[in-house]
Amino acid sequence: MTNLPPFLRLGLLVALLGALTVLATGMGSSHMPPGRVAAALLGYGARMDEVIVWTLRLPRVALAILAGMALALSGALLQRVTRNPIAAPSILGITDGAAVGAVGFLWAFSDDANLLVVSIHWQPLAAITGAFAFAGLVTILAFLDPGGRGPLRVILYGVALAALAKAAVTLLMIVGPVYRAGQALTWLTGSIAAAHWSDVFVVAAGLAISAVLLLVARSTIRQLVLDTDSAAATGVPVGRAQVALLALAVGLTALAVSQVGAIGFVGLVAPHVARLFHGAFAGGYLAATALIGGVIVLAADTVARMIAAPLELPAGALTALLGAPLFLWLLLKGRRTHG
Amino acid sequence: MTKLLTLLTILLALAALASLHLGLRHYAPGTVLDALRGGTSPDAIIVATLRVPRTLVGLCSGAALGLAGFLMQAATRNPLAEPGLLGINGGAALAVVLGVTLGNAPGLAGIGALALVGGLAATALVFGIVAAAGRAAGPATTLLAGVTVAAMLASLTQVLLLVDETALETMLFWLSGGFAGRDLELLALGLPALVVGCLGALVLAPSLDALRLDDDSAGALGVRVTGVRLAALTLAAILASGAVAMAGPVVFLGLVAPHLARRLAPASGSAGLIAATALTGATLAVLADIAARLIVAPGESPIGAVLALVGVPVLVGLLRQRREAVL
Repeated sequence: MTNLPPFLRLGLLVALLGALTVLATGMGSSHMPPGRVAAALLGYGARMDEVIVWTLRLPRVALAILAGMALALSGALLQRVTRNPIAAPSILGITDGAAVGAVGFLWAFSDDANLLVVSIHWQPLAAITGAFAFAGLVTILAFLDPGGRGPLRVILYGVALAALAKAAVTLLMIVGPVYRAGQALTWLTGSIAAAHWSDVFVVAAGLAISAVLLLVARSTIRQLVLDTDSAAATGVPVGRAQVALLALAVGLTALAVSQVGAIGFVGLVAPHVARLFHGAFAGGYLAATALIGGVIVLAADTVARMIAAPLELPAGALTALLGAPLFLWLLLKGRRTHG
Repeated sequence: MTKLLTLLTILLALAALASLHLGLRHYAPGTVLDALRGGTSPDAIIVATLRVPRTLVGLCSGAALGLAGFLMQAATRNPLAEPGLLGINGGAALAVVLGVTLGNAPGLAGIGALALVGGLAATALVFGIVAAAGRAAGPATTLLAGVTVAAMLASLTQVLLLVDETALETMLFWLSGGFAGRDLELLALGLPALVVGCLGALVLAPSLDALRLDDDSAGALGVRVTGVRLAALTLAAILASGAVAMAGPVVFLGLVAPHLARRLAPASGSAGLIAATALTGATLAVLADIAARLIVAPGESPIGAVLALVGVPVLVGLLRQRREAVL
């Protein structure tokens, strides 16, 4: 694959994502063949088809793709900034931190009748706050560690704090509005079942802003592949660039988690697939990562809908089953080579 | 050492009495005593049928999990080893859920057997993976591999439960881990595991002392290193499975209890630590259970959440302590 020119490889990914979109949109209680889906998408389908596609099915498909893109980009940035191939938002405690923020928001801003006293649209902001708090805590713990900052050490602190965040989410769900505790699975494992266009727009806006920032900073990001000294020698303000990219990564994860819950392992898997399929140093690596992230979450969500229909599994359970073996492999492979 | 063990026993007894007394409703000491003597007043019956079982189950699971953690830590010379974090509890839970989903309602013995098979399989899986990584795999790699296996097992469990709705209803409560609402007959599963584990651990204690040295020195002292290691891990799996069969998967007790015991008796040999760990684990479990009733009253918190609040700081402290690069 890597001997194709980059734009062709990206084109292939876009085509794959498109095909998957049509397929996923057709799936559901009333099955729709791809031809009718395509017609409805392009705006000349039957009226009924268009209603089903645009108001019922497409928000979910779009949200899956965009959340996947955000998580994948976040993972790629984290891996590059920490120079650590097993870094990922769910492993560093960022995903669960965002879930704490999102659930904490419901708890803090509900009145006695379990009604929100502020608009639900502020929830992503709470998720971002939670994600930054936990990411900051992990960074501080790793920074203050007397044993030096090995790549595994950061991850261990992340794992520890993720456990703490999960406990906090559980407790907040119990003390918080009772009827929302039913969404427990959503916050703890991640599910895309309840998607609205407004959710889609929130994630889309965040992704668009991030894309612009990443485009502006693309040469800096490329130079961060080098070791710190060499990168500094090329004129990159390394420290500031790292902090900025870290913040961007945290923000992207928080945004995705606030809408779809704590879907794990996408940020780990997508960058590695992109590395194999596209090459880490080829132009458009981040774009490839994002597209692959979209494909993974959409595929996971679609399989989650099909596998036990009419029941739905949380997409996050499937991404964990896919991502955990890869993480083990990376972890142990790294051990063997570096001794 | 004797003094410490006496002290810990007294502490455990006090915690157990407090656990009978405290809760959504506090029962007067008189009522508690009445219940223990087999009284028939309504309050005494409530204490005897609700508070006594949960206290006993908590005590027994806490001792078993603490001991399981101690054995894993001693066998692998890994201060971060713990049956919950390493996925052993998750394996036992998955096997039970699988049994419930496939068969129809396995009896008490069936649940015990399933948990044991799952716990042993998960132990073999995690330590097999780590062994396959070669000598270089340190405590951190083991922990990360275990956490990942645990995540995978939890996802599988969740998928199984969602596919089988009847299983979901019967299992969800058990799976959330905790000591409330458990039948007293469950002790028939946990107690034998605890007895086997305690006795086995005491038999192994001299070898575990030798294992504190490096493998070669232990071997020179006549200890069959691999054999002792396998035996200790098997015992740990038996203990953890027994606890899971009673109380569902409970994390962090196996990490906190042995470290607390080591703090309390820094100069003690393995035999003393085994006794101290069992007592500390039991006390911690009972105290955590009391806290679970009180912190979000009138609701009840899952025990895992309470233990994480204590366990995570301990874990972070341990990570900071390991100055030498054991990664």
